[in-house]
Amino acid sequence: MILVWATQHDAPAERVLAALAARGVETCQIDEYALKTLRYDLVFAQSPEGWIEAAGRRLAIEDVRGIYLRPGEPVADDARIAATVLIALASGLQGVVVNRPAAGRSNASKPYQLDLLAQAGFLVPDTLVTTDPSAARAFLRRHGRLVYKSLSGIRSIVSTLDESDEARLDNARTGPVQLQAYVRGLDLRVHVVGERWFACCVRSEAADYRYAGAAGATAQLSEFDLPEQVGRRLLALVREMGLLVAGVDLRQTPEGSWVCFEVNPSPGFPWYEDATGHQIAEAIADLLVS
Amino acid sequence: MIVVVGSRHDAVSSMLVERWPHAALCSAEDLVRPGWVWHHARPGQRTWIIDARPVRDEDVTGIFIRRSSVYAEEMLTTHPADRAFLASECHAFLTFILATTSARVVNPVSDGAFGEEALRPERWTTAASETGIAVRPVRVTSQARRRRGLRTTEVEVVGGEVFGELPARVLDRVRSMAERLRMVWGTLLFDARHRLINVTAMRPPSDAAAVSLGRFLTVGHT
Repeated sequence: MILVWATQHDAPAERVLAALAARGVETCQIDEYALKTLRYDLVFAQSPEGWIEAAGRRLAIEDVRGIYLRPGEPVADDARIAATVLIALASGLQGVVVNRPAAGRSNASKPYQLDLLAQAGFLVPDTLVTTDPSAARAFLRRHGRLVYKSLSGIRSIVSTLDESDEARLDNARTGPVQLQAYVRGLDLRVHVVGERWFACCVRSEAADYRYAGAAGATAQLSEFDLPEQVGRRLLALVREMGLLVAGVDLRQTPEGSWVCFEVNPSPGFPWYEDATGHQIAEAIADLLVS
Repeated sequence: MIVVVGSRHDAVSSMLVERWPHAALCSAEDLVRPGWVWHHARPGQRTWIIDARPVRDEDVTGIFIRRSSVYAEEMLTTHPADRAFLASECHAFLTFILATTSARVVNPVSDGAFGEEALRPERWTTAASETGIAVRPVRVTSQARRRRGLRTTEVEVVGGEVFGELPARVLDRVRSMAERLRMVWGTLLFDARHRLINVTAMRPPSDAAAVSLGRFLTVGHT
C-alpha cells in the first residue's frame, strides 16, 4: 500500500498514481477534503503503529510501504490537526517517503538553502537580503543587473532590476527583499529521483521562464545531456539534503560554469516530462515500491 | 551583546533581557524595520536591527531563540491582505540570519527550523534511543479519551551542564543525547519510570540554567 497525500487534481500526484496503478500497486489518496474527516489512532514509539481512516477506508500502518506527499494548504482548522498527524506519520514511517517533511524544509527559506548549496561546493549567485534602500542601491550599482525574488517558499514571479529601477529600491524599507546578481546563461531543470537524473534545458527570453507566456515571451524545453560529473554532484547534494526526489534549478554560464539556484523538494514535473519524454513519474513509482 | 529573538508579548523574553547584561530583544517588528543588511558572501557586511537600532553582527556574541515562527498577526504595520506573505518572508529571513550569524545560537538551526521546531520528536526520539534513553510511547487519536495525569521530572541542559534530580546514569545519557542533537539548551520531561516524554526549548530557564546560559551567550563567536 502506498499512501498519496496530495490535493485533488494535482498533476504530479495523478501521474504517480497512474504509474503505481500500472504496476498493480494498491494506493490510497488523501486530499484536502479527506483530511477534514480523517480518523486515526496511532502510537508513536520507535516507528508509528495503529491505523488511519480516510473516506471510510481504514489502513493499518503496518501495511503502508511508502508515502508520496504533495499536500496543499489545509482547508480548515480540523484539517490542520489531521495534517499535523500525517506529517508525524510521514516523518517516522519505516518505508519510502517522498519526501520526509523535514528534508524539504530548507526550501522554505531560499537564502538559507542557498547557503547549504554554497557549503556543498556549488557556485551560487551573489545574494543580499536587506531592508536598507542604500545597501540595495549599492548592490545594484555593483552588479548592474539584479534578480529580485521572494525569500520564502511562497511562489513568486522572479523579476529583474537594472539601474533604471533604482528608485524602486526605496520600497525595500518596508520588509526584507532578496536581491541576487543576475547570472547569464542557459537555464536547466534537473529532476533527481533516487539514483537517477533527468536534465531539461529551457531557452526563454523571460526572466522567469515559468511565466514566459504572461511576459509575452516563449519558453522552449528540451532534453539536455548533463555531464556525468555534474549529475553525480547533484545526486550527492540531494542525498545529503535527505531528499529522494528533487527538482534542481541551475544555469550554465557562457564560460561553462554551473550556478545552482534552488532545490525544490516537491517538484511539479509534468511540464518538463511532456516536453522531453522523461519518465519521471515512472521513476518515482519505481522508487516508492523499491 | 546577547540578542533574545522573541516577542514583546512574551514575559520570558522580557525577563531574560532584564536578567542578562547587555541583552536586547529582537522582535517581529524589528524584522520589518529599515536597516537590515545581510550579505551572503560577506560576513563583515551584516547588520541587525535590534530594538529599532542597528547592530553589527560581529558585536553580537550570543542569540537566544524564544520563537519558532513569525506570525501574520505580528505584522501590524502592514496591510492585512499582505501580512501572511510578509510573515512568511520574515520567517525565511530569520532562518537565514540564525543559520549564518557568527554569534552563538541557542539552539542552532536544524533542517531549516529554529526554536521548538528544531527539536522535532523524530529527532529527539532517535537521539534518545541511540544514547540508551527509554522513550514513553505517545498515542495520538481522533477518538475522545480520558487523559491521565502524569507525574513528571524535569531535567535542564545548558551546554555540557545538566540540572535535575535523576540518577547519574540517566543524566550522563541526557548529556550525550544533547550533544547528538547539538542542543545547547532544553528541558527534558521524564515519567516516573525515567522514560522520556518530551523535549522542549520553550520552558522558562531555572535560575541556575539562566545564569549558565548568560555565561554561554556572552563568551563570543562560534
